[in-house]
Amino acid sequence: MSLVDLPRYEFARPATLDETCAMLAEREAKREKTVLLAGGTDFMVQVSQGKLASDPLPLVVDIGRLDELRGVRLDGSRLRIGAAVTYLELQRDPIVREYAPLVAQMTHDIGGPTIQARGTLGGNLATASPAGDGIAAIAAYDPIIEVQSVRGRRRIPMAELQTGYKATTRAGDELIVAIELPLPAHGAAWCWRKVGTRLAQAISKVALGAVAEVSGGKVGRIGLAIASVGPTTSLLPRTRALVTATPLANLTAATVDAVVAEDVSPIDDVRSTREYRVHTAKAVVRGFLRELGAPV
Amino acid sequence: MKVALKVNGVQRHVDMAPLARLLDALRGPLGLTGTKEGCGEGECGSCAVFLDGVPVNACLVPIGQCDGCEVVTVEGLAAAGHLAPLQACMAEHGGAQCGICTPGMLIAAEALLRRNPDPTPVEVRTAIAGNLCRCTGYERIVQSVLHAAHELRSTEKGAAE
Amino acid sequence: MHDANKPRDTRAPVVGENVTRLDGAAKVTGVARYVDDLPAMPGELHGATVRSPLPRGVLRAVMLDPSFDWSDVTVVTAKDVPDNVVQLIVDDQPVLAAERVNHRYEPVALVACADKAKLARAVAAVTLDIEPLPAVFDAEESLLGRTVIWGESNVQNRYLITKGAADADDGEAAFEAALRACDVVVRGEYSTHHQEQLYIETNGMVAWWDDDGVHATGSLQCPYYVHKAFKRCFHLEPEQIHITQAVTGGGFGGKEEYPSLIAMHAALLAKKSGRPVRMIYDRVEDFEATTKRHPSRCIVETGCDADGTLRALKMRVLMDAGAYVTLSPVVLSRGVLHAGGCYRWRDVRIEGVSVATNTPPNGAFRGFGAPQTTWAIERHLDAVARRLGIDAGELKRKNLLAEGDSTATSQVLHGSIGGAECVEKAFAASDYVAKRRRGPIVEGRKARGIGCSVFMHGGGFTGSGERMLKGKVAVDLLLGGRLEVRSASTDIGQGTETIFAQIAADAAGVSISAVSVAVPSTTRVPDSGPTVASRTVMVVGSIVERAAREIAERVEAVRRAGESFAAAGDRLLAQEGPQTALVQYEPPAWVNWDDKRYKGDAYPVYAWMVDVAEVEVDLDTFETRVLEFWSAADVGKAIHPLMCKGQLEGGSLQAIGWALSEEVVWKDGAIVNPRMTNYIIPTALDAPPFHTILVEAPYAHGPGGGAKGIGELPMDGGASAVAAAVEHAIGVAIDHLPLTPERLFAAWARSNSEAAQ
Repeated sequence: MSLVDLPRYEFARPATLDETCAMLAEREAKREKTVLLAGGTDFMVQVSQGKLASDPLPLVVDIGRLDELRGVRLDGSRLRIGAAVTYLELQRDPIVREYAPLVAQMTHDIGGPTIQARGTLGGNLATASPAGDGIAAIAAYDPIIEVQSVRGRRRIPMAELQTGYKATTRAGDELIVAIELPLPAHGAAWCWRKVGTRLAQAISKVALGAVAEVSGGKVGRIGLAIASVGPTTSLLPRTRALVTATPLANLTAATVDAVVAEDVSPIDDVRSTREYRVHTAKAVVRGFLRELGAPV
Repeated sequence: MKVALKVNGVQRHVDMAPLARLLDALRGPLGLTGTKEGCGEGECGSCAVFLDGVPVNACLVPIGQCDGCEVVTVEGLAAAGHLAPLQACMAEHGGAQCGICTPGMLIAAEALLRRNPDPTPVEVRTAIAGNLCRCTGYERIVQSVLHAAHELRSTEKGAAE
Repeated sequence: MHDANKPRDTRAPVVGENVTRLDGAAKVTGVARYVDDLPAMPGELHGATVRSPLPRGVLRAVMLDPSFDWSDVTVVTAKDVPDNVVQLIVDDQPVLAAERVNHRYEPVALVACADKAKLARAVAAVTLDIEPLPAVFDAEESLLGRTVIWGESNVQNRYLITKGAADADDGEAAFEAALRACDVVVRGEYSTHHQEQLYIETNGMVAWWDDDGVHATGSLQCPYYVHKAFKRCFHLEPEQIHITQAVTGGGFGGKEEYPSLIAMHAALLAKKSGRPVRMIYDRVEDFEATTKRHPSRCIVETGCDADGTLRALKMRVLMDAGAYVTLSPVVLSRGVLHAGGCYRWRDVRIEGVSVATNTPPNGAFRGFGAPQTTWAIERHLDAVARRLGIDAGELKRKNLLAEGDSTATSQVLHGSIGGAECVEKAFAASDYVAKRRRGPIVEGRKARGIGCSVFMHGGGFTGSGERMLKGKVAVDLLLGGRLEVRSASTDIGQGTETIFAQIAADAAGVSISAVSVAVPSTTRVPDSGPTVASRTVMVVGSIVERAAREIAERVEAVRRAGESFAAAGDRLLAQEGPQTALVQYEPPAWVNWDDKRYKGDAYPVYAWMVDVAEVEVDLDTFETRVLEFWSAADVGKAIHPLMCKGQLEGGSLQAIGWALSEEVVWKDGAIVNPRMTNYIIPTALDAPPFHTILVEAPYAHGPGGGAKGIGELPMDGGASAVAAAVEHAIGVAIDHLPLTPERLFAAWARSNSEAAQ
């Protein structure tokens, strides 16, 4: 029995994306808060803990069933995932399993089956928690986040999305519509490694998404992202730079560790320590590079 | 907000705040207390129910999103007065001790068996990974589900022959 | 389709059979009613608690916001409590704080309202004016006594167990001499941390008053503990108090004494408002405010021969009781009584001390002190084995208590000693010896190791406890040859109801379908004693057996040839009126315990267990997975083998969780992680497959052919088996729980840098 005084939120269910955008624009102009609701796995916890009871209350807009936010399709060499596609749908989608196995693998580590049935990439990107496993997985592909508003469609590269802890460049009246993953070459190496508080129903201490195209002992394209090691999803720019500039055989544990340590900035919190997270981030990155053939 | 939903095969109506939880609708006006609240934050799975055929935590679903949906709870797993094989096996093979996690556990196990009639122990554990049990150590729950799977396959075979 | 309660053959014995549990059908259909499933009573109010935001201070005032509409809200404070004491062992804990607060979350005021939403606002509209006082959060600091927060010196209890040289007039000096004279002396320090019971159903009560007195129904283990507390608090006669157990979603000790407090709170609100009151804790409140396992610090020093024969044991056990005494004297007692492990010692000096801190009072949790000291002695013997260069399993097996040996309290063991058989079977099933000898197996970045623990757990209350309890059970003969068992023992998942029915059916020679077990309500059942201390089957079950036998004998005495039991029973009832056998527990006559010197027969019998854990440690992340877990347990007689294994496995997983992932994180006396999100218990993927072997060395006075108490046993050894396996895998010995990856990493880093030097 939760004793939280459940405020009387207003609830809207627009039928189309355009209607939703119009609603958002109107409210934004009047500085009225809006919350977009898809699966609700983050949102409902906030509500039950009384964390969203501002004055005045935000309008809750249910977008989970908007057709425009659903569907998975392959567009040439890009994989397009609707913002409201659930992790369970991604898990079962043959296109995702074939072309983005890193994403498919990650879905198994999101909570448990009941959370996977509801959680969405769009929702997690909007919440922008650095602990978001889904975000770390897609970030390894350097995706484009497509947002829509009454002003039209805007395409935000992942690296430009997160500005700080739970803060993004998404405007108050913009809605995440889709995530576009530029797929790596067929046969590219990939890795999903989550270190959590337990093997299921766990918040990450460190979660690595990694993608790499290797040819002739050198890495061409590389994507790396780690959850829970900073205020935003860490995209490891220095580590990427080192790995693309150096033949794999010339990488050393010490040089890799050094750049990873610079690329991450974890804290001590209730789940883990800064030292452990730094150590583990180094270890999982080295683990992936070893799979590529680096002697680290 | 008026919400119309099918619950255990019966058309029902509730009028609640849109962000009231499906769990509260079930345990309150719908009079179905079989679904439990263990944590209120989607961690323990004791509130698991089927929503449009998919297992979800009812404590995380706002009733406002349930209009036109179909919900199946533990009370709907078998006709009144009977036990589905999964329920019987859970009772007979030590899968239920204090029983508070059992309804949610049954939903998760049922979801598994509908898609995978011959699961391995690891597949069972994965399917119930979102259902916390403090009493059993999970071993007897896994055995109960495997027994039920075996029984269902035998019945299927028997029916087919 | 199944009919889950199909009756069995009327003549085949059911003890030893895996009958379908009596409450199974209700639980798997969602029909079983836990307290918050009970329908609302007419006019029912919801109740809530206002708790201290500070760990220690002078309570100056309880202030109600004058701008709030209190007209439909009931408020209760200390002055509304007739006798403001929680009746348990020592009268130090108030039902509601009056002048002082001594821990964060201490209950200060109670609020009730029909409107749940308004209730939340009402709680927020109560302000507590507390003048802070310096608080103490650490047991060692408390022991120093620089800031006195309880009694004269913060020390609540002390025990001393001595044997051999330590019994002499100059005992302490004589013992020291004996210890130093040993070939090999080893010293170590070991500690354990808080653990939250985390029953999946939180605490809850519904209370109301009527012409019969006061009623409380809820989630609980011990209806008569609540009854006693009500007698004291409300100054009522016993027959005016009606405490009933609702179907209870787990307890593990966490609902042994705590429910008395929430029940009194609900009853106080019900009394003042004149309406029934329902109080159901949400998870955060339950986590913050209710009892936890006592943290401990043990200093151990042992002396042994060069060949590993154990000789002298010195141990200091320090336990953190929290702000009030509650059950700490008994927890410390069981702790020190199990501190010698299951080994032979010639000279013993075990000191136990419990101190107060300004944290929520700690309380009962499965094992009740024994897991803490078993951790210490098992880890210590692992260290001794390492020093001697012999395998720990071999060291333990070699020194195992056997028939005719005497324990640390000089109890001579006779009968029902299955330890050696448990060692043999657990080692064989797991291939422990060979795997141990092979050493760690490193494949890529994973290291596998194996470890064991050997332990015993005393059944029933210590010493004269059962004699003082005078536990009783009643069995009634009903029409149609049916029997009803009335006892205060609750089924909290462990299967009490079913086991009692099995025992009674066989004792009376009737079908199990002819036996029912009454809902434990103090109005109807006698005081059988609490559902704790691994006594339910062994102690209460034995008087269920006697009472059922007595009833059957009465029916047999009048039965005519060819007449059925049912017909004879009906005739007996018609002719002589109601037939009830009321039986009181009599401990075995030979039990001889000296409470002053803490010597003698601490428990009438011990259950034994050996755990073997195989783990895999990730050398990068220091995550530990328990790959397999074997146990062999001597349970005396398995009344229901499946339920017995269920207890052993469930308890073992709680021990594994305690060892690897569960941790209560504190900051200035407040809990930082009072939620399931961040208090980590194992999921089905974290849990190992359990391989459980039942061994039966029957206990002469145990029901059903020799059952012993086993509910707490599995909690005692799981942690040290896992730690031993981790040590085998990566060569790092951890002596302080929990073995989180962070701590393993830090320990490994330290030992690596030490090795490098």
